[in-house]
Amino acid sequence: MSFAKQLNLIDYSLSSLWRRRFKSLGVMVVFAGVIFLLASFQMTTKALTSLAAESLAFAPEITIQKMRAGRQESIPVAYQARLSEILGITAITPRVWGYYFNETKGANYTILGLDPLSMPLGDQLGRAIDQRRLPREHEVVLGRGVQGAASGSGSSIISLFRPDLSLKAMTIVGNFQPETDFLTYDTLFMGLADARDLFGLPPEMVTDLCVTVANPSEVATVAKKIASLLPDTRVVTRQQVQKTYQSVFGWRSGFASVCLLTALTSFIIFAWDKASGLTPEEKKEIAILKMVGWQTADVLALRFWEGMIVSLLSFVVGYTLAYVHVSFFEAALFRPILIGWSVIHPSIPLRPTVNLGETLLVLCLTVVPYLTATIIPSWRAAIIPADSAMN
Amino acid sequence: MHRPCSILLGCLALLAVVDGGLVWHHRCQERLFAVADEVRRVTVAGLGLSDLCLATEARYTRHPAVTDLVVPFMDHPGAMDHFPTGSFWAAPVIVR
Amino acid sequence: MSTALIELENVCKTYNQGQANQVLALRDITLTIAANSMVCLRGASGSGKSTLLSIIGCVFPPTSGRAAIAGKQLTRMPDRFLTIHRRATIGFIFQHFNVLPELTVLENITLPLMPLGVAPRQRKERAERLMEMLAISHRANFPARQISGGELQRVAIARALINTPPILLADEPTAHLDHPLSLAFMEIMRDLQASGKTIILTSHDRLITEHPAVERIIAIQDGKIYVP
Repeated sequence: MSFAKQLNLIDYSLSSLWRRRFKSLGVMVVFAGVIFLLASFQMTTKALTSLAAESLAFAPEITIQKMRAGRQESIPVAYQARLSEILGITAITPRVWGYYFNETKGANYTILGLDPLSMPLGDQLGRAIDQRRLPREHEVVLGRGVQGAASGSGSSIISLFRPDLSLKAMTIVGNFQPETDFLTYDTLFMGLADARDLFGLPPEMVTDLCVTVANPSEVATVAKKIASLLPDTRVVTRQQVQKTYQSVFGWRSGFASVCLLTALTSFIIFAWDKASGLTPEEKKEIAILKMVGWQTADVLALRFWEGMIVSLLSFVVGYTLAYVHVSFFEAALFRPILIGWSVIHPSIPLRPTVNLGETLLVLCLTVVPYLTATIIPSWRAAIIPADSAMN
Repeated sequence: MHRPCSILLGCLALLAVVDGGLVWHHRCQERLFAVADEVRRVTVAGLGLSDLCLATEARYTRHPAVTDLVVPFMDHPGAMDHFPTGSFWAAPVIVR
Repeated sequence: MSTALIELENVCKTYNQGQANQVLALRDITLTIAANSMVCLRGASGSGKSTLLSIIGCVFPPTSGRAAIAGKQLTRMPDRFLTIHRRATIGFIFQHFNVLPELTVLENITLPLMPLGVAPRQRKERAERLMEMLAISHRANFPARQISGGELQRVAIARALINTPPILLADEPTAHLDHPLSLAFMEIMRDLQASGKTIILTSHDRLITEHPAVERIIAIQDGKIYVP
């Protein structure tokens, strides 16, 4: 098959598509829409997984929580001393964190109380705060989502209820930087004593212990030792944290992918149905083409090019729109589905990547079935005998 | 009058330009993100964060990495999970 | 002296062979048609003339017998080679013209050239020569559904001639034309014959069967050549 001949067949295919432009455009819009949804979903979940992997690469090597009756409860600070005999641990930081529900705004906040100077890079934490300093006693740094909900924006005092309904007032000394929104948007960062006071925790209790290990390859060993030393605790390693986020957004396991694949399957069935039924005009056209010298292979090539043009253009347009949707609009269509309803909505900078393997996967799931669905039924049309044009 | 092939080629060229622009934009963004990544690194390490702030309305969506495994059902007997997030996120790897 | 361009010897054609609805459409047809002649096949509906036309037109081979068209034996020729031979040898003018209504006149005429890989410019040049000859140049960019019956037929003639085939077949060409247009059609056929074409027509129309340009009438009845 010569190149010039293929160009001619492509010309004819394009003319044919143009003659049926409303139908062709309809198919392309729907097909591009399906690809847009699939690709958007794939890019969003991949971007979120990558974001979590990159951001949480510096999560604490080990976090220790105390469990009772299958639930987390406060852990005694004294457990720190019991861990001192384990080699490899360079620091243990007690921490108080929990949730505070603001009834007026209907929003949940995360309260975080610790002394960051004992944490890795804790001495540089000021860079993450707009006023460049850490909170002291009765002071708090707010996530930007909380600042808006504090007692009037621009206010320098925030008051929270203790469990006994007495008010605890703290001075706002800064906000977290905007680039940390997807980590700290709902967070109130304060000193350990203030957090204990807010939650009514006794001074010997905290909510968890953050353990820093000198040698990353020893983390698993140290974790095992901790678990055997403190059997009433749950030991969470950084690797487990990262694995959680790999599986949480596994798009192959979510029922969103089931819904999307259902939409795709419906579209392929529709395409098959459309290609199977030939109108009398289409049959006549093929018979005339055969009569004036077109071969069966030429008619099949025509159908192939029609399908290829529609599917490839739809694929490129759909994929491009998906990239724009995820990159510029933070996957606005999918966020409510993936992340659900929430009073506090941080901005999440998604960085979609176009990966050859995953692009080919979407191509195989969309373009290949569409071509198959249109070409196979076209075979029946292509073998129409030439002499039927004479009738 | 241009032949239809040429018009198709023109459309593909236009799409290539648009996609090329997006690639360039991506590269520019990478440079910006590099600076922001440094601040985030300090935040995560300094505060000991284990989770992204994505959905704040339930413990197991706010802190899925360190939450109790039975939390979705702990609010009261027969409580529904936080929809749709709870339905769209796969179970933590520990369960498998 | 003209050489035989079309030679049929004991040609038979059976449809649905071996099945309950088997039909013997042609029986022992033997005829020769010389090059550069104009012949008319005459016969009632169902007589087998369309089948004979299809065999001469290399649409399908005979079931048995020998059929040689422009020097090539058709019997047992695969469909692919039949198409190639038909493309180079036969120009078909259909009873209902069979022009694609949504294509322009130019696109219809150049349709046979597309699978040959002929470039658009060459296609246009060849079509323009024929359109000028047939006086339809002014309709080149009109969709076929917007032109008259007479013009449609000339489009069909131009399409049949675009590959410069030596043989032209026309099936009931004047069935949908009025008297003046039918006369005009026969004048075109006479001119084409004068230029070297071999022309075979099927028709009931006395205007054609009694036209002076028609050298020979072959009557078909019940699948056989009828000699009164």
